[in-house]
Amino acid sequence: MKRPHGGSGGDPAPDPTLPCPPHSPSPGGHGMPARRRREQLIRAAWFTCAIFAVVTIFFILAFLVVDAYPVFHAEGVWSFLSGPIWNPTGAIPTYGIWPLIVGTLLVTLGAMAIAIPLGIGSAIFIAELAPARVKAVIKPAIELLAGIPSVVFGFFGLIVLTTWIRVNFAVPTGETWLAGSILLAVMALPTIISVSEDAIASAPREYKEGSLALGATRWQTISRVVTPAALSGITAAIILGIGRAVGETMAVLMVTGNAAIIPDPIWNVLTPVRTLTGTLGIEMGEVAIGSLHYHALFGVAAVLLVITLIVNLAATLILARIKERTMPGTRCRVPAAPRQRLPGWLADRVHPYKRTMGAAAGTILLFLIFGPAGILAAIALICALHVLPGRLSPKVTQVIAFSLVVLSVLAVLFALGVILFDIISNGLPFITWEFLTQPPSNLGRTGGIFPAIVGTLYLVTGAIAMALPIGIGAAVYLTEYTREGRVTRIIRTGTDLLNGTPSIVFGLFGFAFLVIFLGFGISLIAGQVTLALMVLPTIIRTTEEALRTVPVAIREGSLALGASRWQTIRNVVLPPSVPGIVTGTILSICRAAGETAPILFTAVVFSSRFLPHSVFEPVMALPYHLFILATNVPGADGQKYATALVLLGLVVIFYGIAIGIRNHYTRARHW
Amino acid sequence: MEKLQPKYSPAMAGLALVLVLALLAAGCTQPSGDGHARTLKITGSTTVLPVAQAAADAFMKDHANANIQVNGGGSSVGVQAIGEGTADIGMSSRDLKPEEHTKYPDLVVTTIANDGIAIIVHPGNTVPALTIAQIREIYRGNTTNWKEVGGPDMPIVVVGRDSASGTREFFFESVMKKEDFTPTQLEKNSNGAVKQTIALTPGAIGYVGLGYIDADIRTVPVIVNGAPVEPTIANIVAKTYPVSRPLIMITRGAPEGLAQTYLDYLLSPAGQAIVAEEGFVPITA
Repeated sequence: MKRPHGGSGGDPAPDPTLPCPPHSPSPGGHGMPARRRREQLIRAAWFTCAIFAVVTIFFILAFLVVDAYPVFHAEGVWSFLSGPIWNPTGAIPTYGIWPLIVGTLLVTLGAMAIAIPLGIGSAIFIAELAPARVKAVIKPAIELLAGIPSVVFGFFGLIVLTTWIRVNFAVPTGETWLAGSILLAVMALPTIISVSEDAIASAPREYKEGSLALGATRWQTISRVVTPAALSGITAAIILGIGRAVGETMAVLMVTGNAAIIPDPIWNVLTPVRTLTGTLGIEMGEVAIGSLHYHALFGVAAVLLVITLIVNLAATLILARIKERTMPGTRCRVPAAPRQRLPGWLADRVHPYKRTMGAAAGTILLFLIFGPAGILAAIALICALHVLPGRLSPKVTQVIAFSLVVLSVLAVLFALGVILFDIISNGLPFITWEFLTQPPSNLGRTGGIFPAIVGTLYLVTGAIAMALPIGIGAAVYLTEYTREGRVTRIIRTGTDLLNGTPSIVFGLFGFAFLVIFLGFGISLIAGQVTLALMVLPTIIRTTEEALRTVPVAIREGSLALGASRWQTIRNVVLPPSVPGIVTGTILSICRAAGETAPILFTAVVFSSRFLPHSVFEPVMALPYHLFILATNVPGADGQKYATALVLLGLVVIFYGIAIGIRNHYTRARHW
Repeated sequence: MEKLQPKYSPAMAGLALVLVLALLAAGCTQPSGDGHARTLKITGSTTVLPVAQAAADAFMKDHANANIQVNGGGSSVGVQAIGEGTADIGMSSRDLKPEEHTKYPDLVVTTIANDGIAIIVHPGNTVPALTIAQIREIYRGNTTNWKEVGGPDMPIVVVGRDSASGTREFFFESVMKKEDFTPTQLEKNSNGAVKQTIALTPGAIGYVGLGYIDADIRTVPVIVNGAPVEPTIANIVAKTYPVSRPLIMITRGAPEGLAQTYLDYLLSPAGQAIVAEEGFVPITA
C-alpha cells in the first residue's frame, strides 16, 4: 500500500532501466490504434474484475444495514451495541449484543495467540529447515488440514476437545472460550502456514547467502534476515488467518457453549462464550422472517462485518506502515540495493519480538502436551529466553530455536493426525460401493450419498468457474496495470474486507439477495454465486502473490522485444504464475467444498431423489448432509464419519491433480 | 511476435476437463422414468424433518415418478418458504406467529404428529425425578447444584436450545411460564447437539424431542400430582405427561395435487406408523 511518491526518504536514485511507472507508453511504440484499443479494452475488463470485490463488499454491507435498520430504529444503535443482555425471546425481548461482540473478540484473540506462533514456526520449518522429502509430505498434509470441513472440526471438538478440557481443568463443562480458540487456531493454521511459507520461501536468495557468508548462523539468518524480508507476506497470512477465525461459524457454535455472557474475570478462558457468528448460525434458521428478532440478526451480521472491516483496515494500515518504512520504492521490485539496508535496523526490533513469539509457541506446546503443569515450565522458559540471549552462544540459541520450530510443526501434524485418525477409523467401515452410488434412504441412516457428492461437485465447479476469471483478472490488473495508488489501495482493501467477511454473512446475503430479492429460490445457482463471492479474495490474493514472484526483468525483456502489455502478461507473466494460481485455487476449492454456512440458506436440500437438471433447483451437498446427520439424525454415526471421509477423499483428489500440476511447473521454471 | 502464441497449459486443460466433466454429468442426469416426474418441495423445521423424510421415502416407493425433496432450515424457514411459494409444504414445530399470519393470510395448517419433550441428564446422574417447578428453578439459574433437588453433589450445567428454536419457545411457555432463562445456559442449535452435550457432561441437564432418546442419556421423569411420569408415547397419548406439542405441516390454501396425496399418506395408518417409528406420537393414537 504505497503512495506513488511515498517513502522517498533515503531512496537511491531510481534506476532508469526499471519499468517504473508500469503503465508507461505502449512499448511497441508504433501507436497502432487497433492494438491500442484492444489493450485498453483488456485493461478495462481487468479493471472491472478488480473493482468487483469492492462493489460487492459495499453491496453486502448496504444490504445488511437495510435489513437491520428496523432494529437500529427500534432499539437505538447505541443500546443495540452496548446492551449487556441478548435475550430476543425473553418475557421482555432484549437485543443487546455487547456480550456477543466481546465473545467474538476473545475467541479470535485466543485463537491467534495459539495459531500465529505455531503457524510461523511451521512456515519457517517448511521453507528453511525441512529437507525436500519431508517438505513434500508436510506441505500437502497442511493443505489437507484446510480441506477438513468445519462441521467435522466442530464435532471432533465437541466430542474430544471439550471432554479433555472438562476433565483436565475440572470444570463442569468443557464448552468454553478455550475450546473455541484451540479449534479456531487449528482451522486458521493452514492459511497462516501456507501464505507465510510462500512469503518466506520467496525471500531473495542473495540475502540468505549474504548473511551466511558473513558468518551468521542459520537461525540468525532466518530470524534477522529472511523473516523480516517476508514480513509483509506474514502479515498478510495473519490477516487471512484472522479472517478465517472471526468468520468461522459451524465449529465455534458447537464448542463454545453459546452462553451470551462476558467472562468474569475477563481472562477466564474456561467460561462459555457466544460469538456473533454463533448467534447467526443457531438462530437464523428458525427466526420468524420479518420479526424484530430477524432484523436484529441482520444487525448482528452488519456489526460482524463492521468488526472484520475494522480489524482488516487496522491490519492493512500496519502493513502499509511496515512497508513504507522498510522498503521504499519496492513496487517496481527494485532488486537488492535499497532493501539490503533493511536487516540492520529492523533486526533490532524484530528479534525480541521473534523471541517472545518462540516462547509463546513453546508455552502453548507445553500446555497442550502436559496440561496446566506445562505452564510453569513455560514461564521458566520465557524468563530464560528473555534473560539469557545475551549470554547464550548463537549456536545454543539456534538449537533452542530450531527445537521450538520443529515442535510447532509436530504439534500441527499431531492435530492433523488425531483428526484424520478419528475420521478414518470411524468412517472407513461404512464406505461401500452402495454408499457412494446410491441416494440416501431412511434419513441417511441407510443408502448412500451419491446426490450429495455430485451436488458438492456442482457447487464447487460453478463457484470456481465464476471466481477464477474474475479473480485472475483482478490480480492481473492490480499487479500489471497500475502503480500503487489510491485506486489500488481501495481495491486491495476491498478484497481484504471481502476475505474477512464471515461465511455466514455471505450465507445471509445470499439468502436475502439471491434467494428472496432476485427470486432464485433455494437453488444451485444461488449457492454457486455465494461460494464464488466467498472464495474470490483468496484467488485474487494468491494470484497476485504468484504474479509478483515473476522477475521484472522477464517482463522488461518481453516489452523490449515489442510485445504489448497484454501479450507480455499472457505469454510471459501468467504461465510461470500457474503454480501459485493453482495453489490459490486449491485453497478455494477446499474452502468451498467444506463450507456449510454459505449454502445453508441458499442452495441445499437435505434429500433429493434425482440430481438437479437445472441450476435453479436445489442440490444435496456433502457438508450439509454431514451437518444434518450430525445434529438432527440420531443413530447415523457411521454414515456421518463416512460422509466426512468422502468429503476429505474428494478434496484429496483435487489436491492430487493440483499438486501434480504445481510440481510439474516448479520443475519447469527456471530463470 | 508471431511466436508469442498462447500456450494452453496442462493446468488450464485440467480445469477445462473438470468443467466439461461436470457439464457432462449434468447432462446425463435427466430424471429417470416416464418423463412426467413431479416434484414436491418440503422445507422447514428440523424436528419434523425425520418424519417427513421417512414418509417421503415410503411414499416414493409407491409413486415412481414423484420426486420429494425434503429440506431443513428451521420452522421459520418453513413458514417463509411456503408463504413466498418457494416450497410446496412447510414444516414447523411451533404454531404460526401473529406476524406470520398477517404476512401470509392464506396458510393452512395440518397437524401430523405430537411430540413430547423429555428432560434428559447424563446416565450417571442419580436424580430420581423433578417437578415442573424444580425444572423451572434450574433453568432460571436459582437451583445450581444437583443435591438441592435430590441428586448427587455436583454443579448443574444448564443446556438449552437457541433463542429461535421452536422447541425452546414451547419449553419457555409450558415449563418456564415465560420467565427468563439463566444467561449462563449453554445454547445448542439442534436436538442432536443438546443430546451430545448431555451425554458427555456429567452435571448437565437438557431437553429434547422424544425421537432423540437413547442409551447415551437418561430421561428424568416429571412429577405430576406427586407421581413421577416418564416421557413415553403412551403417557403423552394419555395426556399424563405434561410437556408435549403438535408438529405441523403448512400449505398455501387447502392442500392439492401431490401435496394432498402426500399429506393423506402421512395421516393414513401407514403414515402414522412411520410417525411412531421416528419416535413421535401419532395423532390418531
